[in-house]
Amino acid sequence: MTQPKPRCLILACGNTLRSDDGVGPWLAEWAQKRFRAESQVRVITRQQWTPELAEEIARAQSVLFIDCSVDSAPGSINLTPVEPTTALQGIATHHQGAAELLALTRDLYSTQPTTAKLLTIGAGSTELGEQFSEAVTAALPEACRMIEETVLLALRNH
Amino acid sequence: MSQTITIDPVTRLEGHGKITIQLNGQGEVEDAHFHVTQVRGFERFSQGRPFYEMPSLMARICGICPVSHLIASAKACEAIMSVRIPHTASQLRRMLNLAQMVQSHALSFFHLSSPDLLLGMESDPKLRNIFGVLAAKPELGRAGIGLRRFGQHIIELLGSKRIHTGWVVPGGVTEPLSSDHRDEILAMLPEAYTNIALALGAYKQIASSFKQEIEVFANFPSNYLGLINEDESFEITDGDLRLVDPKGAIIEDGITANRFTQVIGEAVENYSYTKFVYYKPLGYPAGSYRVGPLARLNIVKSMGTPRAEKELAEFKQLANGPVESSFYYHHARLVEALHGIEKIEHILADPRILSKHVRATAGVNRLEGAGQIEAPRGSLNHHYKVDENGKMVWANLVVATGHNNHAMNQGVLQSAKAYVKNGKFTEGALNRVEAVIRTFDPCLSCSTHAFGQMPLAMTLLNADGEVVDRIIR
Repeated sequence: MTQPKPRCLILACGNTLRSDDGVGPWLAEWAQKRFRAESQVRVITRQQWTPELAEEIARAQSVLFIDCSVDSAPGSINLTPVEPTTALQGIATHHQGAAELLALTRDLYSTQPTTAKLLTIGAGSTELGEQFSEAVTAALPEACRMIEETVLLALRNH
Repeated sequence: MSQTITIDPVTRLEGHGKITIQLNGQGEVEDAHFHVTQVRGFERFSQGRPFYEMPSLMARICGICPVSHLIASAKACEAIMSVRIPHTASQLRRMLNLAQMVQSHALSFFHLSSPDLLLGMESDPKLRNIFGVLAAKPELGRAGIGLRRFGQHIIELLGSKRIHTGWVVPGGVTEPLSSDHRDEILAMLPEAYTNIALALGAYKQIASSFKQEIEVFANFPSNYLGLINEDESFEITDGDLRLVDPKGAIIEDGITANRFTQVIGEAVENYSYTKFVYYKPLGYPAGSYRVGPLARLNIVKSMGTPRAEKELAEFKQLANGPVESSFYYHHARLVEALHGIEKIEHILADPRILSKHVRATAGVNRLEGAGQIEAPRGSLNHHYKVDENGKMVWANLVVATGHNNHAMNQGVLQSAKAYVKNGKFTEGALNRVEAVIRTFDPCLSCSTHAFGQMPLAMTLLNADGEVVDRIIR
């Protein structure tokens, strides 16, 4: 690995062609621009989280996962701590959740980020399309504010 | 009373498929089929598009091997343009293809098959997955992740994206390689060598404990097809196809992309959406053959790189002639991954690799063109026809899984006969029948990426279609 070790890793996932599922990549792009001058923030966007990302997580002091949620009310934002878990929903070689990635990081590299949080925005629609629903569009400023606050806190604490 | 066992969906594959096993009145296996149950339609909906859009459109077929479709498609376009791409572009594409092979083989070996190989076919299905492997063998888990990253990062450095890069275009590539990126790839090589050595060592240690699987995992004489260089060395990006018989004798050599359709046909069976590809002069199914890592190693005389050369010699010792058991696809895959790392190092030593001349341009000079390449799982041919304005009027894609389709079906039948006795089956038996398919690493289409959430169900039906038994995991 040749990149410098980040203090804060932002790990977003989603499909930009599936309406609100693209909110993770959108917020990651926003964070990339917001922290462009901050070398200790690293932003990675994937359509899905895969086991390889454990290596990136192992190198970070804090990690912020960003995803949409189909279980929450459209536009509702949740920022919650994530704990590693091995309670798998099934065999998943193409996709892992945040908690599973943390467990993988712990098992493979014997390390964990000091803090790990998951920010989700409830999806109003995941149909084919490149537009966000009204609820998600309205939630974007608050989501950006929460990301900024979380990252700045992570940078101050390490 | 005859009965049918259905395995639906087959897990740890790239895409969606199911297996049915037909039992006779005595509970013995009478027939078995591997069904591919999805339709994609790429050949149809590309009609009317400008031909130069085809590489990026066709790459969307797959999330694991988009590079294969990208390059095969670009080659077909270049045949239409009648251009020869610059040397540097050719080498950069070769490196891209090798990087993809390394990452795809790492995915197949570590993520899809190592749960069976390292934890055992009978191990607890709840733990028989990549997480179980990582917990039991963390050093191998790290090696697998490292090899995947090696291949994917090279793809990202070359094409700016890990998946579905638009870097490969008709005529070459859009951007040259920078010296910084060359140095970054060079810096990754030592770790990649360590990781593949670890994988090969682990495989060789456990392979001997799978004697019965080796015996019945699609283990039969067949023909083999793959690209090969003029000096009979290993090739996955250029060269022409060679077809050999079960003894290893050449049936036909020098099958170019343009001549492909003259000698290769596609048969249809009513139980699968994937066609059954065969060599026309021998007819179907006699002209069926295997492609992919096992076939490629069976047809070549050398690997063309020193470390893989030693591994090839060891591989060839497995049989007096072509290696027949599809279990050895796993072994061949690791040899190819080693070759890929070596070849990438070799390409980076080319003094012209940083040349800025990486693209040739031309318009429509022919109304028909074809391109071929070796995808990680076998030969791939794209064949296009265009009108005078360059709009696509017809496309035909012959993919690795089609080439291997007949052999996979034969393999399912062989293993089902070995593991399903008196109409009874265990979870381990079910897993072994699936594992036969996994040896081929078929790409049924990974675009859905959803198999991980699906249950595996094996259902026993009587002749009237009534469920008499069912296992779900």
